[in-house]
Amino acid sequence: MHIPDGFLDPKTWGALTAASAGTTGYALYKVREKMDEKIIPMLGITAAFIFAAQMLNFPVAGGTSGHFLGAMLACVLLGAWPGFLVMVVVLVVQCLFFADGGLTALGANVFNMAVVAGLLSYFLMVLARKTLSRPLGDKSSLLVTTAFFSWLSVVLASAACSFELAISGTVPLSTVLPAMVGVHSVIGIGEAVITTVVVAVVLQARPDLVDAYRGAGVLPVPAGGEEAA
Amino acid sequence: MKHDFIDRYSRLESPVHALDPRAKIIALFVLIVACVLTPPTEWWPFAIYAALVVIIANASRLPVKYMVTRLLMVLPFVLVVAVFVPFMHKGGPSYDLGLFSVSRDGLLILWNVTIKALISVSCLILLSSTTQFGDLMHGFERLHVPRFFTTVASFMYRYLFVIVDEAERMKRARDSRNFRGRWIWHARVVGYMVASLFLRSQERAERVYQAMTARGFDGTFPRWTEPRMRAADYVFMIIVSLTAVAGRLVVIWT
Repeated sequence: MHIPDGFLDPKTWGALTAASAGTTGYALYKVREKMDEKIIPMLGITAAFIFAAQMLNFPVAGGTSGHFLGAMLACVLLGAWPGFLVMVVVLVVQCLFFADGGLTALGANVFNMAVVAGLLSYFLMVLARKTLSRPLGDKSSLLVTTAFFSWLSVVLASAACSFELAISGTVPLSTVLPAMVGVHSVIGIGEAVITTVVVAVVLQARPDLVDAYRGAGVLPVPAGGEEAA
Repeated sequence: MKHDFIDRYSRLESPVHALDPRAKIIALFVLIVACVLTPPTEWWPFAIYAALVVIIANASRLPVKYMVTRLLMVLPFVLVVAVFVPFMHKGGPSYDLGLFSVSRDGLLILWNVTIKALISVSCLILLSSTTQFGDLMHGFERLHVPRFFTTVASFMYRYLFVIVDEAERMKRARDSRNFRGRWIWHARVVGYMVASLFLRSQERAERVYQAMTARGFDGTFPRWTEPRMRAADYVFMIIVSLTAVAGRLVVIWT
């Protein structure tokens, strides 16, 4: 889903670059408000983790495979704004060092995979959890919404990507949208399974590391052992 | 540690490697933007951009084979998204090939995205393969990119190789136990792997942070030398940017 240079026209990538830059600036402000320099090593290593996790392919059906995106996982584990920033760093490094995704398309890629698949999906999930946490309980409502919204995050990101390609006049919407959304609604199942399993396992082993569960919106103190370690 | 191939060539010695990171960042970014903004109806501006890329690549002494394999990485997206466009595009003149027809506008779109993707990817490869990560991040810092990003990215890069190695070891262990995932619900196994990868990386982060605090880390990476822009850096930056911008502008005037 990493769009290379040349697939988007100037008005599309210009607008998306502005939108992503604005969101990133606001996220930086939100994160700095609450935390100091000591979370920087933590965010950097988490970014390396997301990058490595994206290298683990999972089977889709028969011989084809998809790979993990991790935007929802980052937001659930770290909180919305730090999770978003981690995704931004991953995408920037992928663009500059691995030539995965173009420079002018960087804003669009950040928009699809960090704003739409990360922030937007996570905020929708938080809303859904508010209504579900009473009948289901805290833990199960977290797992159920994590599953559904990580599936949705991949589908929404692929739809956003299709719209951008269509608005740029590269491919007609009627071809690209069903193809992209179709493929990704299957890949999204893998994303949902992985994200939910990860959140469930981390909840068992280190519940203090799941931001959405603590609900505090602050990263765990990296010194360790202060909470439930 | 088997992943040093990613920036293996950034330690070569060549005139391009010796340039100040800032000069390379500005020159190659201008080239990419000029290329992306050029209308596809003219072919010769792209010849100018490609010539610039070839000249820089040649001066950088990067192995041709390495450049080509890295370039091929962009092709999957081109193949999946754009290769069908000439056959599906409706309207405008088209060439009849018996069984199917090829639209001329569609071919133009395919040419447009392919050439722009290839030239831009070459520029990014040239930038990252001729500059060491730390120097490049410092260059961005000097160009007023927020320090938050350069520091987080530096940590990411430093531990990327360790964590990717960890992921590979887990993959090998899984495969040696005859895991043959065929269907999507087998993704559960990957979920357990990602979960322990996460726990291990967080615990590593905690140890790293403690060790760094003990050694007096204050959120910055001190450097021994401060790079200075020399005449050669300005010459490179100005020649590459001006040529790229000229290639873009002449299309408007003709």
